[in-house]
Amino acid sequence: MTLSRFLSRRQFCLLPPPPHRPQALFILGMSDFSEELIKSTTEDDQGERCELSGTGMHFPWLQKHIETVATGGKKEKDFAQTTSACLSFIQEALLKHQWQQAAEYMHSYLQVLEDSDSCKRQAAPEIIWKLGSEILYYHPKSNVEAFNTFADRMKNIGVMNYLKISLQHALYLLHHGMLEDANRNLSQAETWRYGEKSSSQEVLINLIQAYKGLLQYYAWSKKKMELSQLDKDDYAYNTASQNMLDHSWKTSVNLGALIQIPGVWDPFVKGYVEMLEFYGDQDGAREVLTNYAYDEKFPSNPNAHIYLYNFLKREKAPREKLISVLKILYQIVPSHKLMLEFHRLLRKSEKEEHHKLGLEVLFGVLDFAGCTKNITAWKYLAKYLRQTLMGSHLAWVQEEWSSRKNWWPGFHFSYFWAKSDWKEDKALACEKALVAGVLSGKGCRYFRYISKQDHQVFRKKIKRMKKLVKKYSIVNPGL
Amino acid sequence: MDFPGSLRPTVFMTGPLGLSDVPDMSFMCSWRDALTLPESLPQNSENGVPHVAKGLLWEPETPGPLPLLPPGPDPWHPGLTAQDLLFRGGHPFQKQPRVVLDVTEQLSRFLWDHGDIAFAPLGKLMLENFKLEGARSRSKKKTVVSVKRLLQDLDGHQPWGCPWAYLSYRQRRFSILGGPILGKSVANLLGDLLHEELVTRWEQLLLDDAFTGGALAWVPGKTPRVGQLVYPAGSTLDKLYFQEVSLTPGGNPQVLRDPGHIQLRGPVRQVVTRTVQGESLLAVRSDYHCALWKISRQGRPAPLQVLQVEKGATGISLSPHLPGELAVCSRSGAICLWTPQDGLRRVYKDPDTLVFRDPSPWRWADFTAHPRVLTVGDRTGVKIVDTQVRGGDCHRQSSRTEQRHGVGWGRDLPEGMKSSRSVSPAGGDGAPDLGLGGLTRFLSQGPPGCGLLLFRGGAEASCQKGERVLLTQYLGEGSPESLHSTLHLICTQFSLYLVDERLPLVPMLKWNHGLPSAPLLARLLPPPGPGCPRPLLLGGQDGQLQLLHITGEEASTPRLAGPPQSLPSRNDSLSAFPVLEPKSQWRLQERLKAPTIGLAAAIPPSASTPILSLFQLSAAGDVFHQCLRLQADPGPDSCAPTVSWSPQATACCSQWLKALLEVPPAPPVWAAPTFSHRRLLGCVEQREVEGKVPEGLRAAMAEGRLLQQRDLGSLPTAEPPPAPEPGPDDELSKRLEAAWEGRAAAWWERRQGWSSGPRQQPKRHKRRTQLSSTFSSLSGRLELSDATSPPPSPDPEARPRPPGTPPSQELAQEHWARGVPSERQQTLRDYMAKLPLREDPLEDASAPPSQTSSIRATRSRQRTLQDNTAKPPLQMDTPEGVSVPPSQTSSIWATRSRQRTLQDNTAKPPLQRDTPEGAFVPSSQTSSIQATPSRQQTPVLSGSQRIRKKPRMGF
Repeated sequence: MTLSRFLSRRQFCLLPPPPHRPQALFILGMSDFSEELIKSTTEDDQGERCELSGTGMHFPWLQKHIETVATGGKKEKDFAQTTSACLSFIQEALLKHQWQQAAEYMHSYLQVLEDSDSCKRQAAPEIIWKLGSEILYYHPKSNVEAFNTFADRMKNIGVMNYLKISLQHALYLLHHGMLEDANRNLSQAETWRYGEKSSSQEVLINLIQAYKGLLQYYAWSKKKMELSQLDKDDYAYNTASQNMLDHSWKTSVNLGALIQIPGVWDPFVKGYVEMLEFYGDQDGAREVLTNYAYDEKFPSNPNAHIYLYNFLKREKAPREKLISVLKILYQIVPSHKLMLEFHRLLRKSEKEEHHKLGLEVLFGVLDFAGCTKNITAWKYLAKYLRQTLMGSHLAWVQEEWSSRKNWWPGFHFSYFWAKSDWKEDKALACEKALVAGVLSGKGCRYFRYISKQDHQVFRKKIKRMKKLVKKYSIVNPGL
Repeated sequence: MDFPGSLRPTVFMTGPLGLSDVPDMSFMCSWRDALTLPESLPQNSENGVPHVAKGLLWEPETPGPLPLLPPGPDPWHPGLTAQDLLFRGGHPFQKQPRVVLDVTEQLSRFLWDHGDIAFAPLGKLMLENFKLEGARSRSKKKTVVSVKRLLQDLDGHQPWGCPWAYLSYRQRRFSILGGPILGKSVANLLGDLLHEELVTRWEQLLLDDAFTGGALAWVPGKTPRVGQLVYPAGSTLDKLYFQEVSLTPGGNPQVLRDPGHIQLRGPVRQVVTRTVQGESLLAVRSDYHCALWKISRQGRPAPLQVLQVEKGATGISLSPHLPGELAVCSRSGAICLWTPQDGLRRVYKDPDTLVFRDPSPWRWADFTAHPRVLTVGDRTGVKIVDTQVRGGDCHRQSSRTEQRHGVGWGRDLPEGMKSSRSVSPAGGDGAPDLGLGGLTRFLSQGPPGCGLLLFRGGAEASCQKGERVLLTQYLGEGSPESLHSTLHLICTQFSLYLVDERLPLVPMLKWNHGLPSAPLLARLLPPPGPGCPRPLLLGGQDGQLQLLHITGEEASTPRLAGPPQSLPSRNDSLSAFPVLEPKSQWRLQERLKAPTIGLAAAIPPSASTPILSLFQLSAAGDVFHQCLRLQADPGPDSCAPTVSWSPQATACCSQWLKALLEVPPAPPVWAAPTFSHRRLLGCVEQREVEGKVPEGLRAAMAEGRLLQQRDLGSLPTAEPPPAPEPGPDDELSKRLEAAWEGRAAAWWERRQGWSSGPRQQPKRHKRRTQLSSTFSSLSGRLELSDATSPPPSPDPEARPRPPGTPPSQELAQEHWARGVPSERQQTLRDYMAKLPLREDPLEDASAPPSQTSSIRATRSRQRTLQDNTAKPPLQMDTPEGVSVPPSQTSSIWATRSRQRTLQDNTAKPPLQRDTPEGAFVPSSQTSSIQATPSRQQTPVLSGSQRIRKKPRMGF
């Protein structure tokens, strides 16, 4: 009930222009530039006020301190006082999850749109949208229609928020599975223009277009599914594939622009590449992925390299190429699960330096706290250590070990881990014990603990482990 | 480890803070974070959209937290407020009130209270311009001022704009004469320093980062229900308490035993605990020391290591991977890693800030998913630094550290076993310093910038203008099971960021927390149940608490599950306490409002609904507890039921309150008398006031309690209005009468005698007695008339005199004091001590105890000031053999001496106190006793008030 009152009040207060200032909405709409100027100057003023000691830090709680000291100065008007009190009530209610109450306060807060202070009026729609949409998102009695009504009204108060609200509205619809509505929304926003195109506007329009492209990709993807179920000789197949071709063209226009802007665009890139690949534009796809992974203006996103690697793998690119891609991923995320694949590639390679890198990669993976129980990695390391030592590359092992010998024993090979590993995963314990024995000798507590265990299944394994350690341990080479 | 397959779309912009052209995606709301893209919809539409619990709510069991432990025995004072620092005058023409530090008032207060310090050297220079009492006026020059009269006049000077204040011609002359010298030199010398100090204090008031990270820790015990709370308490927070607590299934914690405590040498700022490979470790940061303990299975701490940080430590963190490893940051910008194997090793050093220039020396370090990689943070950003010693050139430092016997912080065990091992601290030459010197040659750290920025205060995270990092924290726990082993929490005054170390610079999550105070505390808790999101607690310095639900498996980005929630703060508990009289109520409120300096939480295993036990520590040393119950999908109509106080809760509160009120209130910081009294009203008037009523009033005021009817006794008899003077016609008629009788001349003489006699008699008498007593030591210079005059006759108003006190001595003292305002007695005494004319040290020898104490107080205050300004020596040893960083020592000294003074004053025999003059007690100190505890800027009563009939200034 409160909710509907809240919405009806919105209609009441927004549809007729305020009687005492007939031009208010017009001014709000047209004098955007001047209001922006006003806003920026007040912000500067505020900044100056806060930068008392020259640290430049801004303290949100500064005002509270100042208010305890009875300074003179212009008192806030009653109106401003009530609205700011109301705002704090809303925020409090939201944080206490009292949605009904928040909606009631919101109902009263809408009067801030008629504030005579222009910079407050300017900031109001954004605050109202933020809080109002949150209330409507979580309110137990809220529904999509209510949200739509609210969003449509908020878009048209002022001009600054149209694109942002449209985008969020579309995301909301997308989340609720209403792809059609979301698409319509985005299409409307896409064509919207106001004044000179500022760069932030441009980014937003690009984002909107990209989301539109993403929607088209979803539709395309769905059609692809349908197509795969159809018979190739069927008549329907041709129309469907024709449809897909159309989509692809539109989508590439929509997605291509955004992907050029630095950012994290994983879902867009993924979809775009999939479509390009489908239509046989391998070069285009490779270019997109290479750009996404190697452009320096972009953040170092591990996914960019993973996508490129997966693409190259699909393309059956030569091993050298794959290794070079993973080498960069190794530098960014040495703990990634693809590193084990990287190790396999390196192991198979003919180059000696790759063999050395293969050892380094394994050590690198096991450095990380999240990988300590990765049995594959331990197995690989145990095997590869033996292989390396057999190949008389003791120096490689010693090089890796020297920087780790003062913390790996405590990190991996402690008595605590020996006990808990043996309890939880005996196979893992055996692999680790072998590595421990090879790297830090027979005196290692982990090795000693495991080798003393008597277990039917693992007896043979432990015996073999002891033999290997005796043979290959780097602590006493030659023995 | 798996990386999320698809990250949330974000624009990436490089640039400075507050770049307005970035479409700020955080403009989007908290619900935006709950949104998911129907990613590759057709393939996995069934499990694509994860279930987001909309109404995830931790419901508090009581409307506010309850005190867990009785209040400590030490009084607590809230410290400076904005009112003490800011200019209170109005700026009528400004739209916004401006922050103006009140240097002028502070300076004039200083000059007023410590004029002896401020002006003594100048006074010496200007000696020839003063006529000291007893000295013959050698010249009639206008440049010579009589000291005594000047002081008398100044006594009545009303510094804070009293409308009755007036300037005597002497004051004017003095002001013209001395103004250019006195005003400028002191102001020039002190003004800058004072301003600097005030700026520091003000900055500290705005943001006190000493307690970053929190000083309360929960050390899990043998069973999941039992644990230990480790926290500092005591008035200076220098006692580290270990309190065993058991969590009942109902959620209410039970205090198990009396807490054990360890006495440390400095205030505890941060307490960190970690359980690594079954070993519980406890690290403590003080201002200049850090220490590490190992907690045994029985819960007993065993000292491992003490580190001295010469430049001051700003942060300490324990490794979640390797037992006993810790990282310490110092104000000099150095980060050191201490490991049991290698000892202390400096791994990073950069006195400059990372991203842009910021003056704050605050640094922070924490661990990452790689045990040999650290994060290094300052106000502008966070960097990832590899500390690995490559190529086998590991420089061992263990020879320089004293392991296992360095802890000289004796432990007081509850059983009374006092093992106060006063082993000389690891400081001195024992432990390597983290200062500038020392380890440079061992450094293998490349040039600054070789690390990787994890977080940059700038457009990358769409930071606002003026945004600064206040806290960074590694959220992983070291165990491979934890899902967030690569996540870092970064808090600024506006927002909270979650950053994955594998994708630096781009926050995975940003939430505008909107806390009205600095978020310096954060705790990520384990999920309360399988599949539940993890609660992340965020605590503001002023006690506000927020709880966020963080969800996200390893292969998906971290998200907020449901809207964040605010939790009750200690302030909300006020309603559980009984209503008190205003003074106690104010004290209680102040206590509840004390800044939060620690936060700990535990989720005890429970069969039914998950329970969260939340502990908070306040700066007053109070530990409060609150129990929260998870309400996972409440129905659509669930407006959180309003909880109310249970009888047990209110009983607990009143018990706590009772104990609190038994604690003596904090001795107020010494406050200057805001006005003193003109000595124009003579002793005659003062006599009349003596009586029961003012005594009662005075006693009530001295004790600071409410005025009750019995204090007043019978209502004071209203002073009879002055009797109508005999009208002029009366006099006229008498005169006429006399004239008629031919005795007009006789009448005139008689009349003359009447009018002049009573007026001049006391004045002359007063002057004489003063001079004779005060300056009798300046022998030979006395005026002949005074010297030969008979000893002063006993006062016409005979008053009770303490038995056993020789009347002459007492009189001498009294009169000595009477002539000069009490605040200036010390000044005068000092002067006289310096004078060449002085012959015998009478004053000091005969000074009554109260005066001695005042001398002591002043001296120690002087010393304090010198200590503060002088460059502190490396380490000071207090008589107890305890080394405290110099700045603390001085403050402790100051408090001690102040306290002692107060005790001396209060312990004075009552008889002496009854002496009518009351000038024994330096008024300044008395006023500090009587000063209202709120320390508002209302005029406080000065010492001489009690003998006054009417105060001059309005009450």
